[in-house]
Amino acid sequence: MAFRPDYLVRETGQNLFRNPSLSIATILTVAVSLSLMGAALLVSQGVEQINNRFKDEVEFIVWMDIDVTQEQLESVDNILQDSPFVKRLSFVDRDQTFSDFQEFFADEPEILELVEADQLPTSFSVVPQDANVEYIRALGTEIEKESGVEEVQFADENIKAISSFSRGSSQIMLFAALASAVAAALLMYNSIRTAVFARRREIEVMRLVGATKWFIRIPFMLEGLLQGLIGAFLSIFAVFGLNKAFDSFFGDLDSFVFRDFAVPSTDVLFIGGFLMLVGAFLGALGAGVAVTRYLDA
Amino acid sequence: MIKLESVSKAYPGQATPALTEADADIAKGEFVFLVGPSGSGKSTFLRLLNKQEEPDAGRIFVAGKDIAQMSSWKVPMLRRNIGSVFQDFKLLPAKTVAENVAFALEVIGRPRGVVRKQVPAICELVGLGDKMTKYPDQLSGGEQQRVSIARAFVNRPLILLADEPTGNLDPQTSIGIMRLLDRINKTGTTVVMASHDRGIVDTMRKRVIELSNGVIVRDQDRGVYE
Ligand SMILES: Nc1ncnc2c1ncn2[C@@H]1O[C@H](COP(=O)(O)OP(=O)(O)OP(=O)(O)O)[C@@H](O)[C@H]1O
Ligand SMILES: [Mg+2]
Repeated sequence: MAFRPDYLVRETGQNLFRNPSLSIATILTVAVSLSLMGAALLVSQGVEQINNRFKDEVEFIVWMDIDVTQEQLESVDNILQDSPFVKRLSFVDRDQTFSDFQEFFADEPEILELVEADQLPTSFSVVPQDANVEYIRALGTEIEKESGVEEVQFADENIKAISSFSRGSSQIMLFAALASAVAAALLMYNSIRTAVFARRREIEVMRLVGATKWFIRIPFMLEGLLQGLIGAFLSIFAVFGLNKAFDSFFGDLDSFVFRDFAVPSTDVLFIGGFLMLVGAFLGALGAGVAVTRYLDA
Repeated sequence: MIKLESVSKAYPGQATPALTEADADIAKGEFVFLVGPSGSGKSTFLRLLNKQEEPDAGRIFVAGKDIAQMSSWKVPMLRRNIGSVFQDFKLLPAKTVAENVAFALEVIGRPRGVVRKQVPAICELVGLGDKMTKYPDQLSGGEQQRVSIARAFVNRPLILLADEPTGNLDPQTSIGIMRLLDRINKTGTTVVMASHDRGIVDTMRKRVIELSNGVIVRDQDRGVYE
């Protein structure tokens, strides 16, 4: 089955342009359904990002008195080190606290002027071994009784709730991406089938003069592949736009939880590349299957 | 060239079979008419020969091969040896005369040089040398049938099957088409043609196989319609 390149190029080109409205309809169908899929991937990526930020979030902070003594510090440090419930422990000294403080109040110089480094407390950030709330509470209350400890501050319950919510929604979004891929496949198959139906006479003639099945199939698959690629290419713009919108929306919202929701451009490009692959694959496969219906007779 | 051994064929849900124990032996270079009333099985007979239909029983040999045993991937090769012409021409409206003819060579992977040489030659042969750039809707019925014959013959098949090729044409135009088929037959191509046209069958005086309700009731050399 020797394919002449000029035959392939000419037939595929003619077929794409002979029925422009049908071609455009197919391409737009692909673009819309892959945009949906891209959006779902984008959201799941954003949720994933938030998850990662909260996964290792400190569960509680032990604030020391401002005039804490070295002995008191060491004693608390020892208790925490020896506790089987503590997974990770880090000491935040004055300078660190001060620079955090400066960062936090960067927009309010009046406040910054009021505070010197030696007016700030030191603290321990504790990541407990077990996520069990009871243990963490018990450990915290225990430490709070030690001398030199000002206060034990537990991680915001809301943040934990959001974290577990986003974990669940990440899975839902992946499922949505999968579902829109299936929808994309069905929609593409349908519009390609219409295109194939419009050319059933051509297929009939090819069969009668002795063209092989693959010879008949391949130009259609090439056409489907091209339409899939063009549609996927368009959908990348939609995904980029959506990410931009997320960026400015959550940026303006200034929400602590959602500030990282928009993903970096490289991630969007990665999603785009994936969409191109999906589009090409579904286009070629859809066309191949649609033609096969007319090949058996 | 073509041999049927008690071939039977019934379509699904059909009370009486379309063809019942048909026997026929057609030699290379013969010209055979298939005649009979509507529904007698002429088209079925032809469609069995290029494996558009499968027989229920019996054996069919084409060019020495038992095509009932033939695996489906070999069917394209069989069809490259069998040209087909129909009442409704089956031309592609978006292609010119030359492109319609060239299409038959291109889709079986013939090289460009062959296409460039054969297409004008065959268009000349069927009398359409000056209409090669016309589209089917710019041609008369007779001219369109010539294009479809050119397409069927351009690959020089051993056999040409024609299912009522003059069914849509007036008597004058039909005579021209019959002259063309006769010329093609004279090059050694075996021609099997189903026809309703008494006038044509009677003037050509070729072998006639008559079908009635799927049964071959007459097989006569230099025969007439009835
Ligand atoms: N695809 C099909 N499915 C079911 N029955 C069919 C099919 N094709 C033909 N038949 C039946 O088989 C019988 C023979 O049909 P066939 O087309 O071979 O007749 P014919 O001699 O060519 O008729 P005509 O002169 O009208 O073309 C008829 O009864 C017809 O109704
Ligand atoms: Mg018929």
